[in-house]
Amino acid sequence: MSIILEQLLNGLTIGSFYALIALGYSMVYGVMKLINFAHGDLFALGSYLGYTLLVWSAGAVSQRFGLWGGMAAALLFAFFAVGCVGVLMERVAYRPVQKSGRLPLVVSALGVSIFLENLIMAVWGPRYQAYPASVVPTYTISLGWFHITSMQLFILILSFVLMLILYYVVQKTTFGAAIRATALDKEMATMLGIDVGKITLFIFFLGPALGGMAGVMNGMYYRQISFVMGWNYGLKAFTATILGGIGNIPAAMLGGLLLGLVEMFGAAYISSAWKDVFTFLILILILIFRPTGLIGEKVAEKV
Amino acid sequence: MNKRHKRSQLILGMVIALFLAFPFFSNFYWIDVAFFFGVYALLGLSLNIVLGETGLFDLGHAAFYAIGAYITAILNTLYGIPIVWLIPLSALCAGIFAYIVTSPIIHLRGDYLCIVTIGIGEIVRLALINNPFGLTGGPNGITGIGRPSFGLFAIDTSIRFYFYVWIILAIVILGLVRLQRSRIGRAWNYLREDEIAAEMSGIDVRHFKLLSFVLGAALAGVAGNIYASKLMIVSPDTFTFMESSMLFCIVMLGGLGSIPGSILGAGIITVFPEIFRVVANYRMLFFGGALVLAMIFRPGGLWPRKREIAIPNVRSAEEAEEMIRPVAVDQTRTTAKQSLNGETSSFEKHILVTDKLTMKFGGLVAVKDLDLVVGHGKITSIIGPNGAGKTTVFNVVTGIYKPVSGKVYFEGKDITGFKPHKVASLGIARTFQNIRLFPGLTCVENIMAGLHHRMSSYVFSSIMRTESQILEEKWAIETAMYWLDKTGLAGLSDELAKNLPYGKQKLLELARALSSSPKLLILDEPSSGLNDKETEDLMIFLENLLDEMDLSILLIEHDMNLVMGISHWVVAMDMGIKIAEGRPQDIYNNSRVIEAYLGREE
Repeated sequence: MSIILEQLLNGLTIGSFYALIALGYSMVYGVMKLINFAHGDLFALGSYLGYTLLVWSAGAVSQRFGLWGGMAAALLFAFFAVGCVGVLMERVAYRPVQKSGRLPLVVSALGVSIFLENLIMAVWGPRYQAYPASVVPTYTISLGWFHITSMQLFILILSFVLMLILYYVVQKTTFGAAIRATALDKEMATMLGIDVGKITLFIFFLGPALGGMAGVMNGMYYRQISFVMGWNYGLKAFTATILGGIGNIPAAMLGGLLLGLVEMFGAAYISSAWKDVFTFLILILILIFRPTGLIGEKVAEKV
Repeated sequence: MNKRHKRSQLILGMVIALFLAFPFFSNFYWIDVAFFFGVYALLGLSLNIVLGETGLFDLGHAAFYAIGAYITAILNTLYGIPIVWLIPLSALCAGIFAYIVTSPIIHLRGDYLCIVTIGIGEIVRLALINNPFGLTGGPNGITGIGRPSFGLFAIDTSIRFYFYVWIILAIVILGLVRLQRSRIGRAWNYLREDEIAAEMSGIDVRHFKLLSFVLGAALAGVAGNIYASKLMIVSPDTFTFMESSMLFCIVMLGGLGSIPGSILGAGIITVFPEIFRVVANYRMLFFGGALVLAMIFRPGGLWPRKREIAIPNVRSAEEAEEMIRPVAVDQTRTTAKQSLNGETSSFEKHILVTDKLTMKFGGLVAVKDLDLVVGHGKITSIIGPNGAGKTTVFNVVTGIYKPVSGKVYFEGKDITGFKPHKVASLGIARTFQNIRLFPGLTCVENIMAGLHHRMSSYVFSSIMRTESQILEEKWAIETAMYWLDKTGLAGLSDELAKNLPYGKQKLLELARALSSSPKLLILDEPSSGLNDKETEDLMIFLENLLDEMDLSILLIEHDMNLVMGISHWVVAMDMGIKIAEGRPQDIYNNSRVIEAYLGREE
């Protein structure tokens, strides 16, 4: 029983990373119909920026603000910095290409991805970096047979709060309605007086910002970070986006959590070497039998 | 024309001379770079078939490359089969693999297909790492692969490998150029430009998409074989997503569907990192930035394909007509006779009949229990306010939608639920409410789409340029030119469809539909966007067609002058049901029709 519960917690933790990254994919896809291949690398960039703040300052941040304060500073720093990089990316690499169609946009995104990955390598070096144990809390909370590490609890609470806020903003506010309208039909939204430019700016800030934050959490959780990790997480999170239904924000959250669970239980009860194969098989099967994802809506082409 | 031809031959000759001389004034390092340039050119060309020609987003192409390399490695190291024999076998295995994995996903469009191919690429790579049945050697791969040899002449030096790959490449290019300018290449391009229009012109979408994947994969398999025999080792980390993205970039950098473009793209991808070797750590950084810049400034690629068709000594319209007419009329007559002799002689007067046709979208009933009869050799019009379900009827009849219930009979034959390309090949051609042309193709190529299902040359005959293939191409071009003249578009043969003004685009769409010599022509609002003069010309044109050809016409129209002027029979629809039918003047005065348009008088 306690093993299953542990798997569940591990799955939910990884799932919340996926969910936070998936949100960025989904939102960007919504407004630009672009699979932002650079999104995984923004996640990795966030991881490195958080690391830099905590480690290169020689622990000064943690000493001044305490352990939790240091973590909060790292998360916020990554949030804003990566968000700004996202906005910059849209201005420089996507907006000028957008009018030329979907394919050039895909190549531009691949270009940004290669650029970011190699930028990280050039700045921080090709080797693994590690978040030192001194900057993250390491105690375990035990309730009888139930154990949870403080880091896990922190990650779960923070990501659920973030997702709840986002859910509220997107589903319940006028601004959220404008976002959803833009995702459905950009031209019509423009004609109805929605400032699509502002929405795009917001999306390209928030999506990468959440991804960057997930990067810091991931670094604190696993400790080890590498410049190539963006691709792997990006692809998984992207699978999660499809699993839920692309372009739909609650669906991305659901997809992320679900994928985390599938992976954990797949690794535990089927085979850890083949677990990624299962992930991709699920992806393919979903696209064959339910291309709109679990809670996406069907879009018919007008003839 | 001739002068230009000579000049391009001269340039080609110089390029070949340069390639032949290159290894003799270069060092081994650069000869190896040139070898990999050749391998990537092969890979780029193989992806160009899928992505460039057919427009299928394939971001997992490295999987097919891997299959070729691993088949070569496994069969050579385990059974000692010579490398050269394994070239066709690698191609075959990669092709079969592509057929198996893409069959269930081939219906997916755009981004969805892109994602699935990424998944396939990753699954293949992960499977290779996991060493299934102890065959792939796990993460370390397979070592000790042999060298290719022809009798006693072994390919074992850098220079020999250089010539080996470029000679193979030259043969491949020759084949691809021929394929590109054939019925197959055009069919792929039609799919890329507009899938629905292609399907409605009689192209079997599924078949040609699969063909493109299979041929692309086979060629990638050949590249895998060459790669494995040069390195003598294969390992999974060659066949990553990064590799697939690089191939994607090769095609996009060169220009979609451009053979010289793909080669140029391969050159850039292989030579660029070598030139920037001095700044080792930053070269990929520059490369990423360069990709973005290339897409900003040259989104169409660096060497896009120029579209032109070699027009055989153009004949006058009359001459062409003499050549073409008998074929067209003969075909239709025999089939008409066949159906006459069949048991369904009651359909003799009616080319198209629908029986209680019903179509729903979710809870919305778009068409309900519609009985429609289209007289043979007559013009039948469907009128009705917007949203009456008129276009839905067309889409059901032509197979784009499958009806919820009811039947469609064409020449007495039940065609309910037939795929659009099947419907088209039976002799139904249509135009669309919002013009659907192949925007990036020339006018002649657009019209030739209608001829696709009347032609038969396939991969082998196109690559070998057989006598019958050449004759068929000639026939197709001349027939297309005939319809170009006939619809008043003479002189625009090499113009791209997207450059035509609206009215001419409508005519081109009509020419495409007519070129298939249909028995039933379905027109969706043919006069919309035309001025009065153009509408009148259209009326005369359609009436003349009925006199000249064995043709029946079904049309949707809002222009009452046109409807009342040329229709033999008018059907009025509202809210998915037929509210009246009859001769034009009867419908004109029918109170229910007036009510449907103007509302009830209180």
